[in-house]
Amino acid sequence: MKGVNDMSATTQEKPAASPAVNGETILEARGVKKNFGPKEVLRGIDLSVQKAEVLTILGPNGCGKSTFLRCLNLLEQYQEGTVLLHGNVVSAGKPETHNPTKAEQQQAEQLRRHVGMVFQRFNLFPHLTVIENVMAGPSRVLGKNRDESHSIAEQMLRKVGLWEKHPCDPLTLSGGQQQRVAIARSLAMNPDVMLFDEATSALDPLLTKEVFKVVRDLASEGMTMLLVTHDMDFARDISDRVVFMEGGYVAAQGTPEYIFDERPVAGIQKFLEKG
Amino acid sequence: MPLAVAFGLQLALMRMSRNPLIYLPAATYIEVIRGTPLLVQLYLIYYSLPQLGLMLGTDMLTLDNLYVGIICLACNYAAYEAEIHRAGLQAIDKGQREAALSIGMSERQAFFTVVLPQAFRVVVPPIINDMIAMLKDSCLVSVIGVQELLNVAQDIGKSRANTAQMLVLAAILYLGLSLPCYFLGKYIERRLKAKGAPELHIDAVHH
Repeated sequence: MKGVNDMSATTQEKPAASPAVNGETILEARGVKKNFGPKEVLRGIDLSVQKAEVLTILGPNGCGKSTFLRCLNLLEQYQEGTVLLHGNVVSAGKPETHNPTKAEQQQAEQLRRHVGMVFQRFNLFPHLTVIENVMAGPSRVLGKNRDESHSIAEQMLRKVGLWEKHPCDPLTLSGGQQQRVAIARSLAMNPDVMLFDEATSALDPLLTKEVFKVVRDLASEGMTMLLVTHDMDFARDISDRVVFMEGGYVAAQGTPEYIFDERPVAGIQKFLEKG
Repeated sequence: MPLAVAFGLQLALMRMSRNPLIYLPAATYIEVIRGTPLLVQLYLIYYSLPQLGLMLGTDMLTLDNLYVGIICLACNYAAYEAEIHRAGLQAIDKGQREAALSIGMSERQAFFTVVLPQAFRVVVPPIINDMIAMLKDSCLVSVIGVQELLNVAQDIGKSRANTAQMLVLAAILYLGLSLPCYFLGKYIERRLKAKGAPELHIDAVHH
């Protein structure tokens, strides 16, 4: 490792972290560093998600976990390091002021076709109906015709249990339903991996439950997922591997039992007691 | 007015660029146009275009009065429409663009299929408002000799010594033209409200 990375000394990994790992890496970050002006948010993150793995990122507010997720999807420009999809480098760090070139934009678009993202605030398109939201990807991005897009959308809406809402305006739905539609919209692109950026933080416990049920179903179908969440019970329950981030570093990672029971670094202790 | 709206959108996009070579000309244009009277601009274009043509040795720039009037009004209102468009585009949550990108859309697609249609809902009422204002400002082009409502009314009034009646009639005709715009605006607003205008968006959600 180059440079002074004083935290890496405390990084502890437990061997054989995940039972679901079968060795095929879907998405990987290597040495990702990011700063907002003088503030360093990510100080060198190495992390990869294996096929069919459910990986949860935990950490106190401001530790950079959401930012990291956004870097993986190239919604955020990072300054150093690389992001790899299926082992191919798709993007590299650039200075903060860099304006993406045409080629870089196209690479980002390519990556995002394979990497779904679910946002904290759903971000459904309010000027379209529920089914039009879900059809947007297949029809506009993949260029499928109306019938094909429609049947994909129907399939996805049934999967999240909201087919009966397909002609509605998204803003008439409850938060939980909106988030499920957002998941369906993402799934319609048939992504290789799904990123959940605090997908339930804007929801009350009851609505959270219905969204988690969908996530659980996806996990059982073998969907590769990377979650940022504040819900410890859910993280413990669903994850194959838990990553604890602190101060822009990966402070510890391992099985849920390892992280939650053994609490390998002092930060976890503090974090879990607060929660 | 369509010219002003289209040109205004272009200006707004330039104005929002991060590149100073792009936004400075747009910002300058907007401030200069908004900061000078329409009447002055009309005279300036009307008299200086042919003069410029003379210098370049062409009569291409000597346009019909009517076109000068239209161009002038369009260019003038474009500056105001630009600011309306900018407000409209900035009112759309950043998450909309990101969600569009996250399903693989290009920046262009995200803008035209997701952001712009939503911004449109925000900008319709103020644009209708400007449309009515422009309709009335169109009487200013009479000063460059375009046959329009006001000077026709005045001419008739003078020749028959009933100027007052003719001016009242002109006012009524202007009102008659404005009111449909007003009702059109109301109608569009009502329809957008029914479809859930963006003000009802989930911005209020906090964590």
